[in-house]
Amino acid sequence: MSNVTSDKRSWSKLISLVSLCVVLLSTTATAQQTNPLAADPRAARAGAVIFRAQCATCHGADAKGISSIDAPDLTLIWTQTGVSEERVFSRIQDGVPGSIMPAHDFPDTEIWMLVSYLRSVAVAGSTREFTGDAVNGGRLFANFCSECHRAGGNGGSLGPNLERITQRRSQEALRSSIREPSSIISQGYKPIALRTEGAGEVTGIIKSEDAFSIQILDSNQRLRGFAKFELISSSRDIPSLMPNFTEQQLSAQRLDDILSFLNQQR
Amino acid sequence: MGTRKVRNKSHYLSSRGRRSLILALCCLFYPATLAVAQDGLGPDYADILQGFSDPTRWLTYSGDYSGRRHSPLTQINTENVASLRPVWTFQTGTTTRGRGFETTPLVDDGVLYVTGSNNYAWAIDARTGRRFWQYRRNLPDDLTYGASAPVNRGFGMLGNRLFMVTLDAHLLAFDRRNGDILWDVELADYRIGYAATAAPLVIDGKVIIGISGGEYATRGFIDAYDPESGERLWRFNTIPGPGEPGSETWPDDPEILAKGGGGTWMNGSFDPELNLIYWGVGNPNPDYYGDSRPGDNLYSNSLVALDADSGELRWHYQFTPHDLNDWDSNHMPVLADLEWQGQPRKVVMVGNRNGFFYVLDRVTGEFLLGKPFTATSWAREIGADGRPIVLNDGSKGCVPDPWGSTNFMPPSYYPELGLFYLTARETCATYVPEEPTLVPGQASFGGVVFIDSEQGSGALRALDVHTGELRWEFTYPSPTFGGVMTTAAGLVFAGDHEGNFIAFDAVTGENLWHYQTGSRIWGAGAMTHLLDGRQYVLIPSGTTLTAFALPELKRH
Repeated sequence: MSNVTSDKRSWSKLISLVSLCVVLLSTTATAQQTNPLAADPRAARAGAVIFRAQCATCHGADAKGISSIDAPDLTLIWTQTGVSEERVFSRIQDGVPGSIMPAHDFPDTEIWMLVSYLRSVAVAGSTREFTGDAVNGGRLFANFCSECHRAGGNGGSLGPNLERITQRRSQEALRSSIREPSSIISQGYKPIALRTEGAGEVTGIIKSEDAFSIQILDSNQRLRGFAKFELISSSRDIPSLMPNFTEQQLSAQRLDDILSFLNQQR
Repeated sequence: MGTRKVRNKSHYLSSRGRRSLILALCCLFYPATLAVAQDGLGPDYADILQGFSDPTRWLTYSGDYSGRRHSPLTQINTENVASLRPVWTFQTGTTTRGRGFETTPLVDDGVLYVTGSNNYAWAIDARTGRRFWQYRRNLPDDLTYGASAPVNRGFGMLGNRLFMVTLDAHLLAFDRRNGDILWDVELADYRIGYAATAAPLVIDGKVIIGISGGEYATRGFIDAYDPESGERLWRFNTIPGPGEPGSETWPDDPEILAKGGGGTWMNGSFDPELNLIYWGVGNPNPDYYGDSRPGDNLYSNSLVALDADSGELRWHYQFTPHDLNDWDSNHMPVLADLEWQGQPRKVVMVGNRNGFFYVLDRVTGEFLLGKPFTATSWAREIGADGRPIVLNDGSKGCVPDPWGSTNFMPPSYYPELGLFYLTARETCATYVPEEPTLVPGQASFGGVVFIDSEQGSGALRALDVHTGELRWEFTYPSPTFGGVMTTAAGLVFAGDHEGNFIAFDAVTGENLWHYQTGSRIWGAGAMTHLLDGRQYVLIPSGTTLTAFALPELKRH
């Protein structure tokens, strides 16, 4: 048996513990506080070898995690508030108490190599400069997007939360998602249209399901659960609930303005 | 105690009708076992040998030695199962995230004996779910395999003794009355990669155990210990030594043989007439990288039949020669006596991680049937020589993932229907082998696996044991690790990855009842027993053990 795993909640727990950890770090960290290999391009490659041998069984060969065993996507950790290389170092060294993520008795150098590797596979985010008018972008966001998306502390919840989104996705990827939202739909946002005797026609996004029931957020942003035997019909082969924003509906300039606005919400 | 049981049964009889009458009559045939239950000595080997004949007991992992997990109890049936409801829930307070609560409780004289994750264990009042005692082992902080999967699958029992293996690779004997440790023996050195998780198999004068650690530079074994003293009686090494039979299937290098893997981490079944133990063997080490170990790598990925007195190998059958996919053959071997092409045959059946359902002659090991039960593209047929005709070793993409087409979660066999029920996993993975460095105490998978998580589902499948043909299936939204139990009332109980505990009509596959337990059911099959004339069904899930029964009868 080779199923070893970890828990994605431990990473979010990590965030909430950050203030505590600031204190703990000063007492528990046995290694130096900064990555001594940060400038060495070979470190990430060496770390990749260690990662594949020691970590990939749970976290996946591409470090993107394996959802069926709750192993978290490690390419996203750097976008979380308060995560630093030192914190990642001690996570690897100490493990996650109460989870299956074990402590590792690796030499410090090897752990720093793993940290370098995880840095190298971090989601890229947007590196190009944002040239739009963020103020206008904020107005456009309020008009076109905020019914379903949240940014700058306001907005709806039907689509993904866009706070700090430019740290996780490139400008190209964001443009593509706005122009053609159905081309890639993330888990948790897959659309469904269903019909029941009592509820009539309902569209929404699938939050969860089992063999007997399905849990959705409907297009009115109301959480609703249905027993599958109630469904008179259901279809998952439908476009994203987000409309396509073509050039006519949203010019390239206006799209740039929205991206600039999003980039300010860090 | 015995008389009270009988009186309760007569009340029960007047209120439940004909089916109950049959059950009560069945019980009357076993006054001797009921008498044993009250003498305070606990079950002896003869009691375990009788298996399900006393339905107030469940004395070994599968309920009896056959590995069928098929109970004769019929109080809960296809008509009334829809009103099954939880009676109590026991909270363990300990968990293994990413794995499961994999145990099968044992029950005797109204007391459940349960092992849990992180080497906790309990004696629990089967009527109320209240605990008598709790045990927790102080584990070292440098566990190896045991840290990555801190699970346990159950106790073995004999007399007033319980037997449990540990994550630091020891075997313990408990006094079942207070949880005290009577003896503690080391099976192997946990620091180089060993651990133990399987339920011990107790037979006449022996406690049989297996070992984990095939992902490390270890060599697997199956051991027999004296229940009284803890003295080791024999050891069967799953990887042969230099010059021994089977070593010709490995490179001529003692170093490689000594680190060849072949874990034995799921317990086995036993045929008392043939005096043979049937036990599965896991992957060769390293898991995905085979260039350092050319050959079939016996007895990895095999079923071995061992003489119970000596531990000597009687025969073996290798399901996956030269495994490159971590498809351990650690499954519960299921024994049955079948009419096979006009001849009576003693067979052993295995639903294997490689995606094939097998029927073998359990006297000789002769291959009788091998048929795929998933859409595996690794192989689609077994050749006349009993070897799989491999089409894609995984390097060309989309073969079952390392967790396999099924796994150690127990299947069930329903003799009257001739159906074998198992949990099937449909997955798609690509294997990229890489040469590892073998370091004692460090896992060495030897490569990486890319799993397409968009392409995954699970199913409960009912297979005709004569042909391997699918009779019916019930699909789950994701690849599932729940086990299966059947009862003679025409019921199948199964659990899924989303946490549902589910009852089916064994003949039609119709779903009759389900209960959302709140956590995936992983690695465990249900068990059932009779207590005060009432049938209970138990399932471990997450951090809880829940007992179900029909709404209570009115009592005078």
